[in-house]
Amino acid sequence: MPDFKIDIRARLAELGLPPTRETEIVEELSQHLEEEYERALSSGTSEDEARQQALEQLNTPDLLGREPKHVERRASQEPIASGEQRSVNFFANLMQDIRYALRMLAKNPAFTAIAIIALALGIGANSAIFSVVDAVLLRPLPFKHPEQLVMVWENAAHMGFPKNTPAPANFLDWQKQSRSFTGMAAMAERSFNLTGVGEPERLDGRRVSANLLDLLGVPALLGRTFVPDDDRPGTHVVVLSYSLWQRRFGSDPAVIGRALALNGESYTVVGVMPHFVQLPGFANRKDQLWVPIAFPPDEAAQRGNHFLEVIARLKSGVTLKQAQAEMETIAARLAGQYPDYNTRIGAVVVPLHEQVVGDMKPALLVLLGAVAFVLLISCANVANLLLARAAVRQKEIALRLAIGASRARLARQFLTESVLLALFGAGLGLLLALAGIRILKTFIPSTISQVDAINIDARVLIFTALVALVTGIAFGLAPAIHGSHLNLNDTLKEGGRDSSGGHKGNRARGMLVIGEVAVSFVLLVGAGLLINSFLHLRNLDPGFRVDHLLTMKVDLSEVKYPDRDRRAAFFDEVIRRVRALPGVQSAAVAGNLPLTYNGDSMSISIEGVPDPPPDQQPDVIYRVIGPDYFGTMGIPVIRGRDFADQDKADAKDAVVISEKTAQHFWPGQDPIGKRLKSGSIKSNTPWREVIGIVKDVRQNDLIAPPKMEMYFNYHQLKDLAANALVIRTSIDPMSLAASVRNVIWSVDKDQTVADIETMDDIVAEAVARQRFSMLLLGLFAVLALLLASVGIYGVMSYSVAQRTREIGIRIALGARRADVLQMTVKQGLKLVGAGMVLGLLAAFVLTRVMASLLFGISATDPITFIGISLVLLAVAILASYIPALRATKVDPIIALRAQ
Amino acid sequence: MTLTYMASPVPDRELKKGSAELMILSLLEDQPRHGYDIAQLIDLRSRGAIRFNVASLYPLLYRLEKRNWISGRWVEKPGQRRRRYYRLTASGKNVLSKQRAGWRDFVEAINLITGIQHA
Repeated sequence: MPDFKIDIRARLAELGLPPTRETEIVEELSQHLEEEYERALSSGTSEDEARQQALEQLNTPDLLGREPKHVERRASQEPIASGEQRSVNFFANLMQDIRYALRMLAKNPAFTAIAIIALALGIGANSAIFSVVDAVLLRPLPFKHPEQLVMVWENAAHMGFPKNTPAPANFLDWQKQSRSFTGMAAMAERSFNLTGVGEPERLDGRRVSANLLDLLGVPALLGRTFVPDDDRPGTHVVVLSYSLWQRRFGSDPAVIGRALALNGESYTVVGVMPHFVQLPGFANRKDQLWVPIAFPPDEAAQRGNHFLEVIARLKSGVTLKQAQAEMETIAARLAGQYPDYNTRIGAVVVPLHEQVVGDMKPALLVLLGAVAFVLLISCANVANLLLARAAVRQKEIALRLAIGASRARLARQFLTESVLLALFGAGLGLLLALAGIRILKTFIPSTISQVDAINIDARVLIFTALVALVTGIAFGLAPAIHGSHLNLNDTLKEGGRDSSGGHKGNRARGMLVIGEVAVSFVLLVGAGLLINSFLHLRNLDPGFRVDHLLTMKVDLSEVKYPDRDRRAAFFDEVIRRVRALPGVQSAAVAGNLPLTYNGDSMSISIEGVPDPPPDQQPDVIYRVIGPDYFGTMGIPVIRGRDFADQDKADAKDAVVISEKTAQHFWPGQDPIGKRLKSGSIKSNTPWREVIGIVKDVRQNDLIAPPKMEMYFNYHQLKDLAANALVIRTSIDPMSLAASVRNVIWSVDKDQTVADIETMDDIVAEAVARQRFSMLLLGLFAVLALLLASVGIYGVMSYSVAQRTREIGIRIALGARRADVLQMTVKQGLKLVGAGMVLGLLAAFVLTRVMASLLFGISATDPITFIGISLVLLAVAILASYIPALRATKVDPIIALRAQ
Repeated sequence: MTLTYMASPVPDRELKKGSAELMILSLLEDQPRHGYDIAQLIDLRSRGAIRFNVASLYPLLYRLEKRNWISGRWVEKPGQRRRRYYRLTASGKNVLSKQRAGWRDFVEAINLITGIQHA
């Protein structure tokens, strides 16, 4: 008797009937068909034909599937086999899949928890890093049509300054002659001592062209921004930042019109900016206030003094290329007009966004890649778990297939489960990301002005949801395909035993482990390279002794201390009193501290040497210091001597030069006693005698090689002021901070003291960016290693459990435990080995993108590669050793009986 | 003429549906029957002119059952496997007598118009 039940079931499938009801209908209908069949047989029809005739009874295409629909209620409980689906039932099926998936997940809380945690780590890391990338790289700057904004620099590449700050006269010529821009504005850093309102305070700010704020398209929150009339020397108006307004003036709207004492002069507050506004530029600091730049006539004529930052807005329709071409033409014209200053000085136009985020881009992209890798490993782990579980669920799957569920439908059920897991993971991941972002923000170098904008917002939520969806499909695909290709025959033959998932399942799991190992290897190498390069950076000799140095900014007011004598008198007295403090070994006055300021440069001429052509006149960076600076800083004096207390204004004008300067100008000679002056031979600046040669110092940053430097004694300079103190201590430097400040206030109670920090802090700040990338990548690499080792462990445990019988037989046949151990570990190492080879190849290619983040080592640093290989190998051995140990404990009798 | 539901063109579908209901209810009037029995009887009594197949008969039975005109239950008899028997309910009886009267009027009206003599 043919079995008609399968055919009937297939036609009922789309109804999604309650199983008991469906069974009844199948029974009733199959009885009917059987009787038709028997009747046909008895009337002499052949078996085949009889069967055919009976089946035709079902063949009103959709009647059976459609008609009872109005009659029968849909299944509301346990779905069993669902077969062919139609799009009309898509939603109903989906709901059914979700309910079923939720029940399956709830049934295995341990599995579900592990999977969700693994995914949460992966997705959370992605959301957190994406929120940073979004805020820093992707979101447009908070200005009107930010894509039109550019920065314009002088190009002095031949002297090592491809993006140099323009000189005022050049800027004014650019402004007048260029046609590519709707406007061009300049900014210059300036600090202000705010007095008369509570404690005196030093505030960072900038002088800006009156049109700057309009150019950027940011209106004032209160009052107004600058108007062209403000841009005249002598106009003392100021616009406050939101934070200053909040902090010092309690958000009082009446601040408009109020007079403030800045640097001893009275300024009228005309406006307050909205709180997000930070002006872009080189300045790695947050401005608290702005004043009009109002070039005085002498400044407006300067071409040799480069200190501006210039922002311009492209006219609509003008491309960057066109603007660049025009600026080059103008620069060439100026070079012709002013050969003394402008020979070979070009101009370069850079999109503002690139200028602001350019430095962070490689690091952030590498981090984004790294978290994607972490997520990949999470996926592989969860896919592995799902595969193992699919093997256990074979009986269930076989049953569902047998009673007519289609393979596609089963695959969909699996995918529903994995996407649900991913969504739960994303939910938890978002919580992790929230916490992570809070921590991240403290690590992000303060130089990134968009830090405040980093948050979980709609964009990050959408990103997370997408990642979760893709993730769910990615790790659910393997088990779904694998599960739905189950061979019914084999499974039934295996007698319903919870079995291995067959050879194919093992291979899939093996592949996943290989992938995990490969990806972790790449991450670990990346992290290893960064850590290595960071160590290089920290071990670098900056040219001075970093420890036990206290530093602070002491900016003298130009009104109160208008001339050299008064400034010198103040500092002499402060130094004298500070040196007397217990715990102080030495103290000195400095212009700008290393690693905080790039330094200004000037061209010099050497006595007895004719001036070279203007474009070949080398620039030397000059620094202003006081007596005993080198001793205090721990900068070795190679020849000659340090400035001493007796090197006053009336003494012979002296200069100390760096090793590099000495080698350049006096190769093979002794420069001591030789003389140099700033500008050309003809200029009327004084000759200065070289009294000492000091070791090169990494002044700008730790990475760039030192440039030529020379040091002037502030006592001997009319118009250059020192503004910092360095103090070498025998005790913890910060413990002296308060007493030093009190000493300063004992000399002048209104004097501001700012940025009190140790040299250690300054160096740490200088490598903050590198530390940021290193810490994060390191963290992700460790996470990857952890996840990968869990993956290896899981697969090995599973494999051992599966081979219990085989191992039992081996032991029964006389295999020693050591053999079993070796065999099992070897199996694990085979996977790890394959993964490492793959990872090695990938790392060779991928770490190249990190080249710009590395210092002192190459992207294929063999030591890092070998070290990481060993670490990964050790972890892999451990991860497969524990299951292997379990394998040796297999009792052959129990193992065999278990079958 | 052979009426098979599988090939029925749309226009007389409703008519047939109504007549099919009437046929089934009539067959159940004197005793409970199972589906195969019903199909056989229709075939027999119409001398093969009207045939139900499984795909059309059972949905109809379920609908009648749903309307509470008939009720089905599994009956086990010694030596036989259980079968589902349908019997007429009280409301089914009501419907049957109304439909029967309606049908008679309808057929007569048709005959009057078409001039076919009552057999």
